[in-house]
Amino acid sequence: MSYNGGGYRRRNRDFDHDRREPVHESPEQNLRTSIIRLGEVDPDQELPRLVEQICETVPVNISHVSESIRIAVTEQPFKIPHYATLIRLLHDRPVPGEESSTTSLGRQVLEDFWKGFQAYLDKLLWRDTRLCVHFFAHLAAAKVVSPQSIFDLLKSFTTVLDEFGVSHGRAKQAALCAAEGLMISGAEIKASTSANVSEITSSIQSYIESISDSKALVQPTVKLYSANDPIETADEMLEAALAALQILNSSDFAQTADIVLQPYTTFPVFEESSFELPSVLVPPEVIELDTLSTDTGEDAQTKKEEWPEYYMRLFDNDISPDPTTPVGYAIRAGLLDLVDIFEINRKECARLLLEFPKWVPHGTFKPRPGAPPQDPVVGKDWQLESTVIETILGTLFLLPDPQHKAVYYIALITELCKLSPSTVGPAVGKSIRKLYGLLSDGLDVALACRFIDWFAVHMSNFGFQWVWKEWISDLDLSMQHPKRVFMRNAIEYEIRLSYYDRIIKILPEPMQNPDNRLVPSEAPGPDYEYDDPARPHYDAAQSILNLLRGRAKAEDVMSHLESLKNTLETTDSDTNVDSVIRSIAVQSLLHIGSRSFSHFLNAIERYLPLLRNLASGSISTTSTSSLEARMDILTAVSDFWSSSKHMIIIVFDKLMQYQIVDPTDVVSWAFTQGVERIAASTHSSIGALQWEVIKSALDKANGRVVIARRKVSALRKEADEKAAMAIVSNGASMEVDAEAKPDVPEPESPALTTALKAFATLTREQKLALSRTLDGFVDCLASATNPNLTAKSVISANAWHNRANWSEAEWVTWCTWGWYRHFCRLYSPYLRNYAMTLGTVSFAKVGNAGDTAVDTFRKTWNVATGQDV
Amino acid sequence: MAHVVQPLDQPSNYKDSQARVDRQKQNELLAKSTTLYIGNLSFYTTEEQIYELFSKCASPEEGGGIKRIIMGLDRNTRTPCGFCFVEYYTPAEALASLRYVSGTKLDERIIRCDLDLGYREGRQFGRGKSGGQVRDEHRTDYDPGRGGWGAQAQRMEIERRREVEERYADAQEGPGAVAGGGEDWKQPEGAPEKQDLKRGRSPEDEAESERMGARARLEDDTERM
Repeated sequence: MSYNGGGYRRRNRDFDHDRREPVHESPEQNLRTSIIRLGEVDPDQELPRLVEQICETVPVNISHVSESIRIAVTEQPFKIPHYATLIRLLHDRPVPGEESSTTSLGRQVLEDFWKGFQAYLDKLLWRDTRLCVHFFAHLAAAKVVSPQSIFDLLKSFTTVLDEFGVSHGRAKQAALCAAEGLMISGAEIKASTSANVSEITSSIQSYIESISDSKALVQPTVKLYSANDPIETADEMLEAALAALQILNSSDFAQTADIVLQPYTTFPVFEESSFELPSVLVPPEVIELDTLSTDTGEDAQTKKEEWPEYYMRLFDNDISPDPTTPVGYAIRAGLLDLVDIFEINRKECARLLLEFPKWVPHGTFKPRPGAPPQDPVVGKDWQLESTVIETILGTLFLLPDPQHKAVYYIALITELCKLSPSTVGPAVGKSIRKLYGLLSDGLDVALACRFIDWFAVHMSNFGFQWVWKEWISDLDLSMQHPKRVFMRNAIEYEIRLSYYDRIIKILPEPMQNPDNRLVPSEAPGPDYEYDDPARPHYDAAQSILNLLRGRAKAEDVMSHLESLKNTLETTDSDTNVDSVIRSIAVQSLLHIGSRSFSHFLNAIERYLPLLRNLASGSISTTSTSSLEARMDILTAVSDFWSSSKHMIIIVFDKLMQYQIVDPTDVVSWAFTQGVERIAASTHSSIGALQWEVIKSALDKANGRVVIARRKVSALRKEADEKAAMAIVSNGASMEVDAEAKPDVPEPESPALTTALKAFATLTREQKLALSRTLDGFVDCLASATNPNLTAKSVISANAWHNRANWSEAEWVTWCTWGWYRHFCRLYSPYLRNYAMTLGTVSFAKVGNAGDTAVDTFRKTWNVATGQDV
Repeated sequence: MAHVVQPLDQPSNYKDSQARVDRQKQNELLAKSTTLYIGNLSFYTTEEQIYELFSKCASPEEGGGIKRIIMGLDRNTRTPCGFCFVEYYTPAEALASLRYVSGTKLDERIIRCDLDLGYREGRQFGRGKSGGQVRDEHRTDYDPGRGGWGAQAQRMEIERRREVEERYADAQEGPGAVAGGGEDWKQPEGAPEKQDLKRGRSPEDEAESERMGARARLEDDTERM
């Protein structure tokens, strides 16, 4: 695009450019910039210059230097070995201007650095803490830090693993601090102390063993028949760290130089007395003091429960390194930190990821195309782009949820492709094919959906160019086979982001053919039941539609509906007249709002009173409450938008927002009227659409509790501050009597009373919605009165090995199991709060123990809610 | 964080040129903003496409979501003119869009997002002389997604896609012309406990409860507890 004049200024800032603009910096800022940018061209040449620059700054501000290094270490962990070298070199220098001092500049900076580390630890900033441990471990390898003290530091992290009831998140972080620190400094520890390295490894090992039950629930490929089989498609982060450590330990850490740079070894060995790291205690987890319990006394705090982290492998060990080896672990961990830290700027992140080889030992990755050829290093020589994409997708495909929003990882891959299309593109293509292949081998349903999401957004950024023809042969698979579901939904999602004609024209002919039931025969649009004069109630519906089009007053529409109802009751006495009226009213409203999302909102807002009355079971008055009426409304929506499922989700969301229906109604609807029914199946099942409906309802219920809790906390804080102010002013006015002042609590403000009441109502609603979901899954999979034989058979090993012959009924049942598992693990923090009451109510209805479906159902629940299995 | 690189969710130098508050006040308001200005849209991009992409940055579990979308319209023709506002319920969602969506493609165009002070009446219309956006007045290139050549040549192109263009022919001005999108949850009028009780006891629900599961029973439970 080009623009001329007119005062238009280029608004999109190019950050890379920005950073390099000459700005007038103070000497201190200048020094900080030099420290942070160390190594951007050639670290070996820059280091001596940086040492000089620091030493020429008189007087030098020690804490400023150490803070700059701390920023660099925690925000650019790939440079840590060079910062360790910097500290090593500064140990040869006196403090500028204090040449007589016995304490070297390096020692003083390190002492100050330690204070910063202690602050990270006190705040339990785990990533910063762990990266500082890397730094100290390198310094131990450089002999600047004493081996015994680094060992003691690592040990204080493994102590956490023995805490009673330690949360997995805390244990994992602590274990990684110890493990990664040991990988870097193990050689020194083992060589120069009597310390027993296996104390650390065995402590991690026994922790891993203690969490084995929860693993099966978060593995990316599912084997419902066996919870304990190892899986080949992924490896767990802690287990990988342990495996890598054991390999290192068995060779006395001889490979350390192979996995990390150790630039400090090129300088003379540090002979002075080494620095003793002070001992530390990992502070206990912060317990929120301002707890709010529900009206039934359950703990309403929801801390996100963290699960074992399974990272998928998409490539062979000669393409990307095996993360259970020392070098493979180090590379993955290094890339993961980059992806996490630079979440704030995906463009910079992509650039740094492609520059990663600069920071690892030479020969780790194949040279870039066009770079001078190098002799491949045996056992290394991996493909950078494949490794990077595998790591990013591994994070995206963590269960139950990735750390950041899925769209971050998607956007990051887009940036990588833009930076280097010729090298990243093929790695993306191969990943897609690999994941597509896994669809028939048990890829978790939630991951299959995430895969579709990624696929569609990625294609949307790259002209929707995908070689669909390679999947043509899969059109022979069962309609409900995961590969067919993938193709169908991927096309649907692409259409949502683009438009029907655009997407259809890129598909090969057999896929375009509506007979193959992959694509709809026309662009998805509204489906007004009363459009055809031949349909029943055509005239009645048109009369309502005309009123709505003419923006008639809500009261006029109501009275017209009332008269229609009276007429129908006499003419169509055998139909459910109430349902017909609701269907006409709701579909007509949607019809006038069908042009766009905004039109829909306008239509709803104009006729809110009507919708409220309808939802309560009447027309022109508000009646008490009617579940049937609310179900009718939701069904009318799904009928109207039956060919545009996206709209069902959008409309339901707003019906909940406007409080026409409750989240529990939506869940009920998904398990009854909205459920997937396969002709050959005895039971209804839950597919991706039903899950999306359920999830949006549960998230709505949970989100409301979050808002209500926030409101209560804010009001309490306000009240506390007021009370404190009052005490201060009272104290000032009655100095003498201050102590005699009776300690009467302020009466609760009306706003706080209202907020507490709302909180109570909303937590009740939250519990209902969760309970309704659990009940729904009981009915689908493990009901005592109506046992589902397919649910039992699909979870057997034999059935799974015979899945090539599965019918639609078997696939949808398998998916229902998948969504039940996802419900349990995704909402586990909430379910734990309500485990007792929810479990008691729903499990009264499941079949007998000994039935494999019932046992699997119950075990899944118990694992997710943290009960004994 | 953010000593090493500049985060993408920092406010840029985009501003509402007609806002009546000074720059500093604007920045304070922007920090709490839940509204995004989205630019460089194709004239043919629909609100549903926008919803689809921007819902990926929504956090309903935190009480968020897309509140509303306001399509920018040509003042004269009432047709989309390449911008819109997306309003979320929480500021974090708007920031996430700046980090993850701004600079990516929608409808095969690279869109840009900026924090906005929030929709006010009248802002859905273009401010250019021709009725569209000012930037399209000055554009000299051919842009098929934005009506071809700059303002003069647009008329003909617009005919070509009348179906799309007629969508907003009914767009209104003045107060209440743009829907709110629904506010946060409020206690319904009348005591909720009473309502729940009735819900559990009403005869039609009794019949339903068999079919609908244990809802009614559980409600009774919660009341007892």
